[in-house]
Parts: sequence; structure tokens; C-alpha cells
Amino acid sequence: MGDVKGFLKHGRKHHGNQPPEERVRHYQEFMVLLPEAELRTQGARCMDCGIPFCHTGCPLGNIIPDWNDLVYRGQWREALDRLHSTNNFPEFTGRVCPAPCENACVLGINEDPVAIKEIEMTIADRGFSEGWIVPEPPLERTGKKVAVIGSGPAGLAAAQQLNRAGHTVTVYERADRPGGLLMYGIPDFKLEKAKVQRRVKQMEAEGVTFRCNADVGGNVSAKKLKEEHDAVLICAGSTAPRDLPIPGRNLKGVYFAMEFLPQQNKRNQGDQLPAETSIMATGKDVIIIGGGDTGSDCTGTSNRHGAKSVTQFELLPQPPDLGYFPRAKDRPTHSPWPYWTMMLRTSSSHEEGCDRKFSILTKEFRGDEAGNLKSLVCCTIEWYQENGQQKFREVPGSEQEMPCQLALLAMGFVGPEKKGAIAELGLELDPRGNIKCDAEYRTTVPGVYAAGDARRGQSLVVWAIHEGREAARAVDKHLMGVTHLPSTHAGDFAAR
Amino acid sequence: MKARIEAIREEVTKCIADGATIVVLSDRGVSKTMACIPALLAVSAVHHHLIRGKDRMKCGLVVETGDAREVHHFCLLSAYGAGAMNPYLAFDTLHQMQREGYLPADLPADKIEKNFIKAVGKGLLKVASKMGISTLQSYRGAQIFEAVGLSRDFVDEYFTRTASRIQGVGLETIAEEMLKMHEHAFPRTKVPETLELDVGGQYAWRRKGEAHLFNPETIAKLQLSTRLNSREEFKRFCDLIDHQERQLLTLRGLLEFKKSANAVPLEEVEPASEIVKRFATGAMSYGSISKEAHETLAVAMNRIGGKSNTGEGGEDPIRYQLDPNGDNRNSAIKQVASGRFGVTSNYLVHAQELQIKMAQGAKPGEGGQLPGHKIDKEIGRIRHSTPGVGLISPPPHHDIYSIEDLAQLIHDLKNANHHARVSVKLVAEVGVGTVAAGVSKGKSDVVLISGYDGGTGASPLTSIKHAGIPWELGLAETHQVLVKNDLRGRIVVQTDGQLRTPRDIAIACLLGAEEWGIATAALVTVGCIMMRKCHLNTCPVGIATQDPALRAKFAGQPEHVVNYFFLVAEGLREIMASLGFRRINDMVGRVDKLDSRKAVDHWKAKGIDFSEMLHKPAVPPHIKTYCSESQDHGIEKSLDMTTLVPQCQPAIKQGKPVTLNLPIKSLNRTACTILSSEVTRHHGPAGLPEDTIQLNFTGTAGQSIGAFAVPGVTIRIEGDVNDYCGKGLSGGKIVVRPPRVSTFKAQDNIIAGNVVLYGATSGEVYLNGIAGERFCVRNSGAKAVVEGVGDHGCEYMTGGVAVILGETGRNFAAGMSGGIAYVLDRKGSFPTLVNKEMVELEQLTPADEKEVLRLVRRHAEFTGSELGTEVVENWDALKSKFVKVMPVDYKRALAEMLASEQKAENVAAGGKPAAKLAEVSRG
Repeated sequence: MGDVKGFLKHGRKHHGNQPPEERVRHYQEFMVLLPEAELRTQGARCMDCGIPFCHTGCPLGNIIPDWNDLVYRGQWREALDRLHSTNNFPEFTGRVCPAPCENACVLGINEDPVAIKEIEMTIADRGFSEGWIVPEPPLERTGKKVAVIGSGPAGLAAAQQLNRAGHTVTVYERADRPGGLLMYGIPDFKLEKAKVQRRVKQMEAEGVTFRCNADVGGNVSAKKLKEEHDAVLICAGSTAPRDLPIPGRNLKGVYFAMEFLPQQNKRNQGDQLPAETSIMATGKDVIIIGGGDTGSDCTGTSNRHGAKSVTQFELLPQPPDLGYFPRAKDRPTHSPWPYWTMMLRTSSSHEEGCDRKFSILTKEFRGDEAGNLKSLVCCTIEWYQENGQQKFREVPGSEQEMPCQLALLAMGFVGPEKKGAIAELGLELDPRGNIKCDAEYRTTVPGVYAAGDARRGQSLVVWAIHEGREAARAVDKHLMGVTHLPSTHAGDFAAR
Repeated sequence: MKARIEAIREEVTKCIADGATIVVLSDRGVSKTMACIPALLAVSAVHHHLIRGKDRMKCGLVVETGDAREVHHFCLLSAYGAGAMNPYLAFDTLHQMQREGYLPADLPADKIEKNFIKAVGKGLLKVASKMGISTLQSYRGAQIFEAVGLSRDFVDEYFTRTASRIQGVGLETIAEEMLKMHEHAFPRTKVPETLELDVGGQYAWRRKGEAHLFNPETIAKLQLSTRLNSREEFKRFCDLIDHQERQLLTLRGLLEFKKSANAVPLEEVEPASEIVKRFATGAMSYGSISKEAHETLAVAMNRIGGKSNTGEGGEDPIRYQLDPNGDNRNSAIKQVASGRFGVTSNYLVHAQELQIKMAQGAKPGEGGQLPGHKIDKEIGRIRHSTPGVGLISPPPHHDIYSIEDLAQLIHDLKNANHHARVSVKLVAEVGVGTVAAGVSKGKSDVVLISGYDGGTGASPLTSIKHAGIPWELGLAETHQVLVKNDLRGRIVVQTDGQLRTPRDIAIACLLGAEEWGIATAALVTVGCIMMRKCHLNTCPVGIATQDPALRAKFAGQPEHVVNYFFLVAEGLREIMASLGFRRINDMVGRVDKLDSRKAVDHWKAKGIDFSEMLHKPAVPPHIKTYCSESQDHGIEKSLDMTTLVPQCQPAIKQGKPVTLNLPIKSLNRTACTILSSEVTRHHGPAGLPEDTIQLNFTGTAGQSIGAFAVPGVTIRIEGDVNDYCGKGLSGGKIVVRPPRVSTFKAQDNIIAGNVVLYGATSGEVYLNGIAGERFCVRNSGAKAVVEGVGDHGCEYMTGGVAVILGETGRNFAAGMSGGIAYVLDRKGSFPTLVNKEMVELEQLTPADEKEVLRLVRRHAEFTGSELGTEVVENWDALKSKFVKVMPVDYKRALAEMLASEQKAENVAAGGKPAAKLAEVSRG
């Protein structure tokens, strides 16, 4: 720790953003970065805690105080090595992670936490701009072949780790470009796709083979894959969306978020989409049903399309508005520091213009004669406890009809898609509908492993990377008897 | 490995036979195919082989190793025979660090090595001094270590005569571990990350590093459960801790409770409200922790009837008054440590327990250290020291060099407050049982066995990991020795050292402790997140800091502490019920309820044998196995109780003057102390007007006369006084002169024993003769005039004035950080006798002259001293012969205080700085 009193001298600073009216006119990232000197000062705010709670806050166990200090000292290269030792893709988490590390930061008890995420991103970006991030192919090959199904963050992390352990890895991706959720889920304005592609390029140079348009369980036989490889690791994500089976669901204008979002990412890549299937929010009253991150991404994209109005519905009541960095004393009793705080979170997309409604239930979609959505009917609900369970009921007389020409369902995902590889291989599912695995990431079929959202259900990118790394270790151990791949180790905050 | 060690031994023997005088053992040859033998093992194996063969004196042993990097490693190598070490890998690492930018680029390579060697050397010296060893020669081969977890055969062969009480692993396991490390260094497959160094985590928690019982999960759970007062969450916390303990983190983790056939219903077990009275928090001083944190713990413990501890930093008397809501911020336990900071009569009479800290579990052999930046005005006031000047408690108590001395201090404290029980804090180590037996015979009411992993975030790094041993071992030994010698029934046994859960407490109880101290966990409940930055004053949660801005962030509540102790007590009750105990007293020492057979299948727990620790001494039923009677302190028969207190009632009750003329003899120990305590109880710290009680003794006073004597009490002795005269003097006046009929020259004769005025905080002493060694040691406010002193005069003094009209011994003013000494140096030899590490010698200023003359005049007047009269009469000739001994830090701090005061006053009064300085220095 370079400056023991750094946290007393400097306040938190992080990147600014272009003003909303400017940034909604394009799809690029819109951060206004801090000058290097200021960022290094931010590193000095880290207190080098005797017990760094950030380690535990971070699902990857990032050794945060170490690289905070290295950044403060200007040793960017060492910082990058230390960061890469636990995280394959810090440039992704540095952008899209909700930063549970900062939520658990000890400085956050009484002050704004250390700008960990900002520092992480800068270390990674610097690594690329300085040319320090180069392919690191294995020195020797084991002769073992591993198939990784899915090229989202879990698949990519697993593939990179397995390849570095010397296995020959092929990644199967059903979309036309690799990256999974990073490519087609997260909008460009949050994560520019060139950043995904440069990682894929690094991995290709390291010897990983990517096969796109390869739908395992569809146009590629899962069984055959299994026969041809020493191990198969499924990182296919949790892609089955939760539906809203209410009257009018089939009207033209009601779509899943994941029908809507990938299209824009394709357009940004220069793809021409046929007009008849193209979903645009331009000039429409858009209502997004679901108050999570995907809903927020729909908001940002709709505003960039030039929607007439954007409204976001959430079934649950509005959580307390505690600002960005609530002090420990202000956090709710049952989600205290250092646990993840239940509170209202306002994204940059929300700031661009969005009417957020809470405790609201959608009852019916209404359309015109041509079958086009023209409005929806919703009502306010109130939540109450019954036998220890949260239940809700309609507030009488609160029903209203709202104009709506585009409704986007962003209500979460119920697990991996059951047809395809799962069905073909006959994998068992857990009670929540995810692929059932033991602690070693083994599915019920020998030689087949699963990791990421397909195993744990929908979650964060940082969890996906964690899963990919741990599963790679398990696969390596299975193939070689021992493994030298690193583990994050236990120590995450157990869910309360 | 065994074969290779044997071969090395033979090679060495042969070399010596061939005439070699220096043998170098090296592990430089490590390669993909060659793993190394641990350097310590190799050195000790050869060392003992040579001793057995009577060859050891014929050669020097040098070790060249990559193992050694921490002070502890060098200590071990030295203590097991190495005469010189070359830590080549440490040097290489330092050079690499320089290349990578961790060290300044302009530092010459040899300077880096030199600095490292210097640091290691200082560390070695420090460790040796903690063990009471002064030279490296004495340390080498001294084997002052205890092994925990090594098998007897192994230790007998390679570390002969090292204590190893629970057995454990042997050579095979050590070889296995070495191979694992070797595999890490030379992995079969090369993954970039595996080449990353281990994150370590020894000194600060790291997720992938060494396991620590307190980690983010357990701290978060403990804070949550105590804030919600949730038994369910607390259970989860306990499960986390107890589960981790079983992963070889503690000895108790290897023990199981035996299933009991005769469990009792929970409601028949004594209530939690009774059990919590047996809890104490740790000795963390105000100064080390903030006022807010300190008082929160005190309030909480007073609410539940348990005991908080002042630590060794005194206590603000304002806390002796109840808060408007009835809360009590007065710490029940007042600690008396070697520094004696703020130990006044008033402090002592407000205690329920007086704890003598012989040593601290977390850093045995060391005194407390408080860096100057944590000593603000307030803390300086309460400790009777100077703000901004760091305080180091001396390792030993200067009034304890034997068990008899300890008994004397126990007696002194019992006299200073005979309503309080006296406790002695010891550190768990082999042989602690014998010491505890002495403590019980010395009439302590309580003995505390403190384990090694007790926390102090400010402990020196050399003490954190390897000093002391687990309390389980020390406690078991203590209990066994006390029971065998029928000393257990009259002393309470307490233990501490990272106790956290009901299971921990239950095991402590079964091993022999009926009371338990919990410090770290209690601090965690008030917000501590174990920053381990306690020495930096930067604690971000307002606990271990005196920075007002950070203190404002303290968010702990007494309720949380109360919740915690009740949660522990409730959990303990459940265990008691399941084991069939209704009362704690029935449970004490019942080692038969502990099972070690399952002792873990971990590869490194092999061979652990707890039979010694779980031994239950066979004693007849009348021998008590828990504290059931009290010590006989003989207070009733004392001079104070029989004579002084009854006859001084008019003064005590109404403040009327009383004069007594009495004989005194050396059997009258600690005379006038109970009397003083009564004056304090009735009149507070200000006591009575000067000379209200005049006690004129003739004869030879026993030890500790006038200990903690208070204002208004004047003790005159015509005769002489033993050791510890005026110990802890708190405002009283002591005058000693030879009998009027004597014919010898007073100034040439000894009139007082050693350690006069140890830990005095105010008052005056006039000795018409020479005093012994360590005169005024740790004096922080009393003024004394004496006609000569022995060695180590004014050692560790932090305040007050000593005027010495005759010669001094050597090592004068060692560790002196405050106060002033004036020495009449007629021969000009004094400067050679001064330890100038912390002081400067100066001439007297006019203000000094005035003060010295005033004191000498009083001396002459009170004692009739011939020498005093001569000095007064020849003042103008003699004043220039006085040397002023001024601590450097003290001078700086006084100047700073003066400057800030003048700033405040804005030079309105226009007082002369010099006069003001003298005034402040006297104040």
C-alpha cells in the first residue's frame, strides 16, 4: 500500500459519460475516461485491508488490493499479470459487471468504495493498447480433445483455460459470430464488439478452434461430438425466456427482449436485416416488461432507435433508493454490508429517459384488426406476507390501459433450452431446470460437463467466467489425473 | 529423505575427521529431479548428530538456503545450531523486486542486501531479547521453541529435547509436503498462472491463501447475527467457525464431545444471565482503541455483569460516574502492566478486578507499544505521559524478578483495593502450570492463561505467527498442575485467545477454565473488520484510531455486544444440556467428556496424540477441581486494618488532621496503602489537604511502604525503607531519614531499597541517603530528591522530576521519554554513566535553578539532610555543577505544546516562553 492515508485524502472518482442527448445518437461506448494520474490516485484509496472483503465480494476472487497498489505505483504490466491470474477477461467485467467487489469494499462502510471496476477496466485496456496481451499458446499439447458448447463468457473462459493446459479445444457456437451473450446479448454501447473479437482472436492464435453456425443438438450431433472428444463441456447459457401467457400475447409487436436486442447488435456489425422481421422501436410507445438488466438494455436500445416513449414495468415493489454507494448504516437490515445490497439501481440507460413503474402487473395486450399491438392493460398490485411467503393482490380500481406499439418481455430466463444437446445426450436437470451437476461440474452423463448459466441459472458475466475457469479445472483433472489450473477457492458470500 | 539425512551426517563426520572446521549445508542444487530437505531439519539433524558424536565443538555450521526469509526462520536456524546463514533466495528475490520496480532503482545492490541483513539482525536481537537472551552466542543452539504437531520419534531424532506435547507428523509427511512444494516449482504442465507465486495470506487474509478463522464470511455473519440478535444467523456463524476449526486450524477443532447418555433438559441448565457473568473482554487499552469503542465494550459488559478490561492505558476518572441512563462506563478489570500507565490509587479503587499482565498471549515477552501519533492530549493526560511521544511498555515489570516479587505485587494491589480480586495474566507455554502454581501460592485470586492466537492487530510481525502456543495446551497443563497440588480450589482459572463460539467455550471449560475472555469477536460485533492497521491510526471504522474524523465513523452499539455474549451463553447451555451438566462448576476440567479419537483424517494430522492434554489427575474427592474458596490475603492482620484505618477515621470521614507516631518493622508490608485507598474512596483523587494525616514511623519499613499513597497522607520514616518505596505513588508524601541517634554520614549510606517510585504518578519523596537500583523507574509525575542512586536510575521515566544530589550508577535514563532529572555532578563523571539513546544533557536554565533549589530546600527542611543544607547554603557555587537530563522527544513535545498554547492565547498574556516551558515541564 503506497499511501496509508490515501483514502483520507482523496474522494472517489470514476469516468464520466457523454450527456444522454449526445450518446443516444450512436451505439458506441460513451465513457469519458479519467486521466491516468487521477486513476492512479484512485488506486491509492485502497486501504490494503487485513481482510479484503472485495476478494469475497468478487466471484473470481480477484486479488484487488494488489493491483490497486500496482496501479497507484504505475506498474501497469504487473497489475495486468495479477489481474489475469484470476480473470481471463477483465475488459468485459470492467465494463458490464455490477461490481459486487465494490459493494463489499471495506471503505464502502463509511465512504464511497474504491473505484475497483474502473481500475480493472483500465488495466485491461492498457494491456491491449500497450500490446502486452498476446497469445499464450501452451508449450506442449496433451493430445486430449475437448469440445466446448457455447462461446459466451463461461465457454470462452473454459476454452482458454483448457487450451492453456495443453488440450485441443473446439468451441461450438450456434450463432454466426462467437461471443454468445457478450456478442448478441449486451448492447454495443455497454460493450463494443471489437473488444469481444480481439479476445476471440487471441484465443484463436493460442490454438482454440471456433466453429460458428454449429447448433449442437441441431445441425451438429451431440452424441457424435461426445464420441470425437475426450470431454464435452456445455456452456450454452440459460436462454429459455420466461413468457407472459396473457391475452394478446401473439399480437405483432410483442417480443422477447432476446429477439429484439441481438438484431441491433447485428445491424451494428453491418448486417442487413430483412424488413419484415426487423423489430424497431422508432416512433413507438415502448413498454418493457421486467425491471432487470436485460430490460435496461432494451431501454437504451429503444431510446437509440428513437422511441416515442419508453416505460419499464417491474412486478416487485420499488426497492429503497439509497443513491449509488450507500453507507453500511443506511443499508437494509437484511442485506447489510458486505452482502449484496437490495436497493434501487439506476443504469445509464435509465438516465437516458425511461419511466420506471414498480408493483405493476400486465394483464392483457390489445391490438387492432390487423393484429398489431396498440395498447396494454395493466394494474397496480400490493405485496403482502402470507405464511412466510410473499404474495400480491390487485389494487381495486387501479386497472388502466396504456398505449403501446412495442412490448418487450424481459422477465428473465428459466434455464437452458431443453431440446437440443440436453435432450440428445439425455442429461438430467436439477429442480430449477438447469443441468444437474456434481461439485466437479460433471453432469449425469460421464465425460459431459456443464458450467455457466446452463448449470447455475441466469447470472452475471463474472459468475460465468468463474464457472468456466472452475469447470476447466475439473475437466483437466479428469483428463490428466492432476491439474495445475488455478481455482478461485471457496469463500463467496453464501446467499442469505 | 531419511537416508539422505543419514548420509549427510556421515559426510559431515568424515569431513571433520579430515580436519574441516567449517561445514556448509546448502540447498542450492534444487532442480527438476532434486527436491530439497528443509534447511532447518538438515541443520538440526547435523547439529544433534555432532553433539552425540562429541564433534560439535570441532566445527562451525553454516547454512546456505532458500528457505530462510523471515526473522523467525533465522531464529530457528540459529537456535538449532547454525552459526551463519546465507539466504541467497531472499537476496535474489530482492534483486528481482528491484528490477520489477518494487524497490528504488538507484539503490545499490549491495545496499539492498545490507539492509536486509540489518533488518534480520535487528529482528533476531528483538526476539532474543523477548526471551531474555542478550547475545547471539547464547541464543545459538538454545532450542527455545516448543513444537506443536511433530511426532516424538521425529523430534527425539532431529530436534532432540524440544518439547512436543501432542505428537504429530514425522519425516514421511514432511517429505510429502516438500514434494508438493517441489511439484509446484516444477509443474508437469505449464499453465501461465501456476507460475504465479502463491498469494500467501499469512499476515493478511487472501482468498486463495492461508486459512484464517476470521475471514469475510465469518465476520459478516457475526456482525449480522449480533445486530439482528438472531440465533439462526448465529448458528450459521458458529457452524462456519467450528467447521473451519476442524480443518486443522485449532487444536480444539480436533476434539469432539463424547455423546452423553444422561443429557439433561435445557431448562435445568443454569440461566444464560448467570453464565454471561463469567465473560470478560480483552485488555485493549484506551489509546490502542478509541474512546468510543472502549466505552461501548465497558457499557455492554457492565450491563450483563461481565467484565471489560482497561488494558494498560489507565482510565478517565469521569467514567466512574454513571451515565444518566444508568449505564456504567467503568471497566471492571483494571490492568496493571509493566508500564503502569495511569495506575493511580483512584484507578485501582474503582476496579472489581486488578489484573497483572505478566505477558500477552499474542506477543509474549513484549510490552505494549503505542506509537506517538496515537497519543493525543487526552490519552497523554490519562496515561500521565506526553502527547505525541510514543510509549513502550518495558518487557518486564521492574518490581517482579521472582515469584516472591509477584506475590508482593499481588499483595500491594490487594491493599490498594481489598474489595477487588487480583488476577495474573500468563501466556500459554510449556511450564506455565508451574508458574500458575506459584501464582496461586502467591495468593492471586485469578490466573489467566492466554493463548498465542489472541489478536492484536498492532503486534510486531515476528510475534504474530510463531510466539506462544495454543491456550488448549497451556490451560490443560495449568489445570492439571493446580489440581495435583491442591491449589485449584482457591483460584479462578480464566483463558483467552480467539475464543468465538459456544463450542470453543465448552472445550475451554472442559479443559479447566471457569471464566473466559473474548476480545476480537467482541470487537468484531462493534464493527471491527480486522484491517490489521491498528498501529497506523487509520482504522476506517473508528476503533483502533484516535483520529477524530475516523472516530466519528464508529457505529458499534453495546446492544450488539450484549447480544453476542447471550448468544454464546445460550449456545453453551445447549452443549451443557447435551453433555449432562447443569452448572458450569460441574463442567470445569471434565476432560473425560472430550474425545480425540476421531482426530481427523487429514494427512497432516496423523499421529496427533492428546493423551497428555486430556489427562485427568487422579485426586481424592476432597480436592477441589474448580474455584470454591477464596485466598487468604492476610489483610485483616495488616498494620492498616488493625491500626491506621481505625485511628485515622476522623481524617477519612471528616477531613480532620490526625497524627500518629508508631514503630514499624519489615514485616509491615505495603503499609499505608489501605489507608490511602480509604481516603480515595471518601475524597476522590484529590485526596486531603497536605499533611492532614501524618504518620511518623520509626524503624525499618517493609516492602512497598507508601504504595499508592494519596494527597494528604504524609509518611515519615526515621530509619530506612525496603524495596518499592512509594510504588505507584499517587500524590502522597514520603520522607525518609536515618534515626536521629545514628552517627553515620547519611549521604554515604543506603537508606532505600530498589525500585523506588516505580510507576508513581504524583507526590513527593525525600530520601536522606542513597537509594538502590532503578530509582524512579517509569515515574510519570512524582518529584523526588535523593542523595545518590544505583544503576538504571530514571529508567523509562515519562514525567516528574528527580533531583539527585550524589552519584548515580550506570545506564542512567535508559528509555527515558519524559520528565527531567537534575544530577549534582561534582566529579564531572556523570555523562559517562548516562544512556544517551533518548536524552540530552543540558545546563540548568534560570527556571530550572529555581525549581531545583525549591526542592532541595524542602528536602533539607523535611529530612534535616546535611547534604541538602550544604547545597542550599552553597547554591551559587554548586548550581553550575548540576546536569539536566532532558529526553529529546519530551523537549520537542513540550515546545510543540507551548507553541500551540501560545497560538491559542494569541500571545494576549505575553508570557515569557522560557518560563512557560518550565511551567509546562513541571506540570
